[in-house]
Amino acid sequence: MTLLSVENLRVTFDTEAGLVEAVRGVSFSLGRERLGIVGESGSGKTMTGRAVLRLIRPPGKITADRMVFDGQDLMQASDREMRALRGRRIAMVMQDPKYSLNPVLKVGAQLMEGLRQRDRLGRAEAHAKAVAALEAVQIRDPDRVMDAYPHELSGGMGQRVMIAMMLIPNPDLLIADEPTSALDVTVQAEVLSILDGLVRDRGMGLIFISHDLRLVARFCDRVLVMYKGKVVEELAARDLTRAKHPYTQGLLNCLPRIGGPRQPLPGLDRNAEWAT
Amino acid sequence: MALIEIENLSVTFTAKGRKVRAVQGVSLSVNERESFGLVGESGSGKSTILRAICGMAPITGGTIRIGGQPLPTPRGRAFSRQVQMVFQDPYASLHPRHTIDRTLSEPLAIHGLADTDARVVQALKDVGLPAAFRFRFPHQLSGGQRQRVAIARALMLEPSILLLDEPTSALDASVQAETLNLLNRLRTERGLTFLMVSHDLAVIDHMCDRVLVMQHGRAVEELARETLAAAGMTTDYARSLFAASADRMLET
Repeated sequence: MTLLSVENLRVTFDTEAGLVEAVRGVSFSLGRERLGIVGESGSGKTMTGRAVLRLIRPPGKITADRMVFDGQDLMQASDREMRALRGRRIAMVMQDPKYSLNPVLKVGAQLMEGLRQRDRLGRAEAHAKAVAALEAVQIRDPDRVMDAYPHELSGGMGQRVMIAMMLIPNPDLLIADEPTSALDVTVQAEVLSILDGLVRDRGMGLIFISHDLRLVARFCDRVLVMYKGKVVEELAARDLTRAKHPYTQGLLNCLPRIGGPRQPLPGLDRNAEWAT
Repeated sequence: MALIEIENLSVTFTAKGRKVRAVQGVSLSVNERESFGLVGESGSGKSTILRAICGMAPITGGTIRIGGQPLPTPRGRAFSRQVQMVFQDPYASLHPRHTIDRTLSEPLAIHGLADTDARVVQALKDVGLPAAFRFRFPHQLSGGQRQRVAIARALMLEPSILLLDEPTSALDASVQAETLNLLNRLRTERGLTFLMVSHDLAVIDHMCDRVLVMQHGRAVEELARETLAAAGMTTDYARSLFAASADRMLET
């Protein structure tokens, strides 16, 4: 079943230096599965994720031939309808907990805000739900975390708090923008298994944005490779190491390998023609 | 004799009346022109060791000697001529309101070195940036370009030791490759000694001759590069770290 379908999505910015196209005609569809979007910084992967939620500020403009989420046309939806979708049906985990959590509010207050405002829950009930959400992302001492400010948490904890916050309303689609790039391998594995469990148990759709190809190959079902705002290759994640497009191959080859040779790593060949 | 000798080092922070023992009795030695890696999860104390060398962490036990000499506190000018550090986040480690020119010439001014102009131009050339970048601000550069500037800044005083704290973990794969190649080239050209921290075993394996695995502030196991590649570690923790990096192995 298709949860989200996007056709010919474009994001343009009208800047002083002229029109900048961050996303140029991206099309994909997503069921209840894990879709990875990979590419270098500036390839438009984050903008694609944000455009689905129509979270692009002016002067940025979003156009698409079609962008439908669960039967609802996202291009035609009013601001009010979009607000009803955001968080509740489609949630997004931002890249950096340092910048995405409010630094002057305790974690507990931030987790409970949505429950109190949106779901009109009482204080005690909201508190209990927030603690349960922290437990669901395997935070061992939720009471301490509820009472902590974001700067008192490590990167891995902060990231889990953000995931917990996004999962409270039980969304159908989660867009995760580099949710693990600030984390080291062991914590990364934990966060991924949490996300994986959610896709499996709740039947959630997941768009996983990352620049780490090996991670995406291991974790996702399908992968879009983006270059300069275009999708240059779409393939099943398990076939990523057998990618055909020279750009995808280049991205894989420039990674160091354990036991690999000590000669300089191959640079990435960036061919302007791939983006036309 | 080893160039960097660390014996039984302990670092303890006091926060809200609670003592946090970030490093507990770690010993290591790095030979001249060697590249030594520290690996472990966040909070294992690997960065703290680099900061302790620079005098940026409270040392509560043990000794650090460089070239056989114990380090003075505060570290002083002679130390900065010999040891420099490159930090993890190129967005946070350059002064946002200083031009690249000012960032690069400041160490020269402090140490009273002449030829500022020529040295700045040469430093940019050495790290592969155009000379015109002198007059830019950090926000006008990409992440990879900023990290090149940070490396150029560290090399301004021609040190013999570079402390590298996750120098590429904030960078894309392709830019990481360029930065690692640059560091390796500079090491060969200038005979530098590296002490490098990373949580990526593949990066450590590519860059380092020996690696110390750390966990909870303690040294777990020291491995030669060949032992690492051959999965010859003897402790469970080093093995689990290696297993978590299995997708970073060379396909055979």
